[in-house]
Amino acid sequence: MAEVSLRKVIKRYGQMEVVHGIDLEIAHNEFVVLVGPSGCGKSTTLRMIAGLEEISDGEIAIGGKVVNRLPPRQRNISMVFQNYALYPHMTVRENLGFSLKIAGKAREEIDRAADEAAQILGLTPYMDRTPGELSGGQRQRVAMGRAIVRHPDVFLFDEPLSNLDAKLRSQMRIEIKKLHQTVATTVVYVTHDQVEAMTLADRIVIMRDGHIVQTGTPLDVFERPVNTFVATFIGSPAMNLVDGMAEGGAIRLSDNVRVPLPHGFAALAEGQRVTFGFRADNLMPLGHGLAETGEVATLELPVSLAEPLGAETLLLAEIAGKEVQAKMMHPRPVSPGEVLKFQLALDYCHLFDAESGVRLERKRDHGTD
Amino acid sequence: MKRMRRYVRNNAVPLALLAPAVMIILVVVLLPLIFSFYTGFTNYRLIRPESLWDFIGLRNYARVLTDADFWAALWRTVLFLTVALNLEMLLGLCLALMVNRITWGQRTMRTIMMFPMMFSPILVGFQFKYMFNDTIGVVNNALQSLGLSQKAIPFLVDRWLAFGSIAFAEIWMSTSIFAILILAGLFAMPRDPIEAARVDGCTSWQVFRHITLPFLMPFIYIAMTIRSLDVARAYDIVDVMTGGGPAGRTELLWTLIARTAYDDARMGRANAMAYVSILLSIFFTWFFFRKLMAARQHLGAF
Amino acid sequence: MSRGQRDFLIWVATFLVMLAICIPGLWVVLSAFRPNGEILTKPAVWIPRDLSFDNFRAIFGLGDNVVGIPVGSYFWNSAVISVTSTVVAVTIGMSGGYAFARYRFPGKSSAFLWLMLSRTVPGIALSLPLFILWSWTGLIDTKLGVIIVYTAINVPFTIWLTEGFFRQVPRDLSEAAQIDGCTPWQAFWKVEFPLAKSGIASAAIFAFLTSWNEYALASQLTRSTDSKTLPVGLMDFTAQFTIDWAGMSAMAVIIIIPALILTFLVQKHLIAGLTFGGVKG
Repeated sequence: MAEVSLRKVIKRYGQMEVVHGIDLEIAHNEFVVLVGPSGCGKSTTLRMIAGLEEISDGEIAIGGKVVNRLPPRQRNISMVFQNYALYPHMTVRENLGFSLKIAGKAREEIDRAADEAAQILGLTPYMDRTPGELSGGQRQRVAMGRAIVRHPDVFLFDEPLSNLDAKLRSQMRIEIKKLHQTVATTVVYVTHDQVEAMTLADRIVIMRDGHIVQTGTPLDVFERPVNTFVATFIGSPAMNLVDGMAEGGAIRLSDNVRVPLPHGFAALAEGQRVTFGFRADNLMPLGHGLAETGEVATLELPVSLAEPLGAETLLLAEIAGKEVQAKMMHPRPVSPGEVLKFQLALDYCHLFDAESGVRLERKRDHGTD
Repeated sequence: MKRMRRYVRNNAVPLALLAPAVMIILVVVLLPLIFSFYTGFTNYRLIRPESLWDFIGLRNYARVLTDADFWAALWRTVLFLTVALNLEMLLGLCLALMVNRITWGQRTMRTIMMFPMMFSPILVGFQFKYMFNDTIGVVNNALQSLGLSQKAIPFLVDRWLAFGSIAFAEIWMSTSIFAILILAGLFAMPRDPIEAARVDGCTSWQVFRHITLPFLMPFIYIAMTIRSLDVARAYDIVDVMTGGGPAGRTELLWTLIARTAYDDARMGRANAMAYVSILLSIFFTWFFFRKLMAARQHLGAF
Repeated sequence: MSRGQRDFLIWVATFLVMLAICIPGLWVVLSAFRPNGEILTKPAVWIPRDLSFDNFRAIFGLGDNVVGIPVGSYFWNSAVISVTSTVVAVTIGMSGGYAFARYRFPGKSSAFLWLMLSRTVPGIALSLPLFILWSWTGLIDTKLGVIIVYTAINVPFTIWLTEGFFRQVPRDLSEAAQIDGCTPWQAFWKVEFPLAKSGIASAAIFAFLTSWNEYALASQLTRSTDSKTLPVGLMDFTAQFTIDWAGMSAMAVIIIIPALILTFLVQKHLIAGLTFGGVKG
């Protein structure tokens, strides 16, 4: 059993505090992804779990044991680095077997473990090559193989796919997911790519400026972002945000664009300033959307640009001088400047406080369902 | 004190790793230099140990700075360095460009080019003392055998000929470091800017002047910096070739220091001169290091 | 003129320049195998008639005409001094180079600059105080005294070279090794050292050559056969009434051979070390 617990973990470099008291409980066999923009402290947090960075304050426990003062080698973890960190002077076999050799294991045992790892990752034909003779994807596999041979309590991944091209990245994503299913182990995975976070994670931890902003399952954070930062960070294309004001049972986005107050927001004070958020998937031209049930608002908006993607077309429309993205299913050609009738699915809209950016929750008490 | 302790505690590992290096340099370089700085203000003579406490203030420096021999040696040293460094740079550049052009046997040529770098300065001095000798030297012998000169040319006796001979030896020894480093620069040079310049209609000379040379400048400055670290090696060459003579005609600052200290046994005054030579060396190194840094920034575009 | 012809001309010109560079050295080597009589003959003898190893036998005191200069002892002194100071300087310098390459600490860049500046002090200027201090401490005219000095003058350059080579080894390799179960000490020796090995070897050879060729300091700090090195010993020949050119040439060959071999071994790494230390800050 290897749960990982972070309790009030702080990291300072000199006077500068970069991680501000993080609390996080990671369950046994859970796949947790730390995601956030660069400089948010996610890599530092991972490196503190690994023992590569000292913990300035707080406590980290692995499998119930506090590891603050343990060097990396005594934490029974393994790590896949962004640049793979393969030992260039060793063959693939030696790379895979290095940790067991250091541990003083017998030759046969090392070979068996290396072969087994190679088998899982399809590296068997390359065992006698050095890292310099491998392609990017193969190096990535060796790095993972090196991590699994020791049967660690926790796997740590530090942006492992960021050096691969798009195609290889999605392929390796699948392999990592499969790997987690084969060798059930706790995983902490750091990335700045929200797609990776969504596809891989059991639970996503979104970080910003050394704080945890939100923790939840991929669907949780997608459907109920706690603030505008998470709303725009998770999901692609990014959520559209338009500033508005509550006015007479509607939200006024501009002089001529008003949206009825979505269900559950009736308590909004008159004149309250809000940020109105919706995703491109929920703003579609009339007749080119999915059959929507629930509340729908209709808006007439000019289109400034169309990006055909084949199955759908991304449209840039304008609300109050601000560009928002919309999606058109079963596309037809659209010329710039054309004014289209759009349908907005109000059930999937979000409201945030205009000042703080914090999510405003729907209230059930007014509900009729 | 408290801050000091905290500094040591926070950086214990790198400080421990550096400690031996710092220690030995303190003992062998800094401590003696402090000592010699002190003796520069005394009338210290090797034969009279008690004169170490004979404090005479700035009199050594005053004596040195009003000494015609000193100024002659200093001027000669600066001239020597200017001539030698510039010629080394030019010749090294030519050599590197030539070797860069050839394909067949390039590695061998490059190895031969490094040949003089292995020579101890004392050997270089001996070698040219032997070659330029007026009675048995190969240069005089060749000139006479070919009928170009009737009598022996006193290469190591005449003021300017001796200066030239010593400079020749110095240049022979040190050109290769320029050539090697400039060649490394040529190898590292990206092809695209040259091709772009060609397309833009530059002549070969313009390409060299505006593309190749600016790219090579940092490498030239590295070579200059490395060279200026040990310009004082010329002491060895002069010592073996002429010993500063005859009659002080080839005296460089460094040979003058040695003579004042060991032959005249005037340690105090020699130390005052030594400080001038140290400042000279530091100046040269600092000057080229600054140039190197500037060139590197300038090159950021590449 | 066609491109091929021009290339050929450049090749010939380069070849001639290289030949010119070699001639002084080759002339000394040739003289080392000729008897003094032939060297001194007037008019000059251009085609050697009498080549032998007699000069080498003589300077090692083996032949019929013995030279009164203990080249054997000098060689031994040079070897002991150069090897010892190189080993110590590389150990110390490697540790310092590693600290500069891997750790951040306040005052790092000025520390680096001061270490390098210590290298600029001219040997002769440094020899004055060392001569006095070494006389007081009894280190004058001992191999140990010279070894200490050579170690110190080799440390800065060794730091410079090894720092560059260690910086080329990615930091995460050491981290990966530590996660794989190594202590920091093991991680260094099993991963970082093997990768920087060739660079460290060239730093060592550079240090060796500096010690082997040094003259200004050794000429003042050594006096007797117990500690004199080969370059200092070479000057013994000039102190005599008539210069023994052939003997000097033979000794020159003995000095140059180890340097020659070692430089050939590391030429590639040496260039790499010198340039990336300076260019790719």
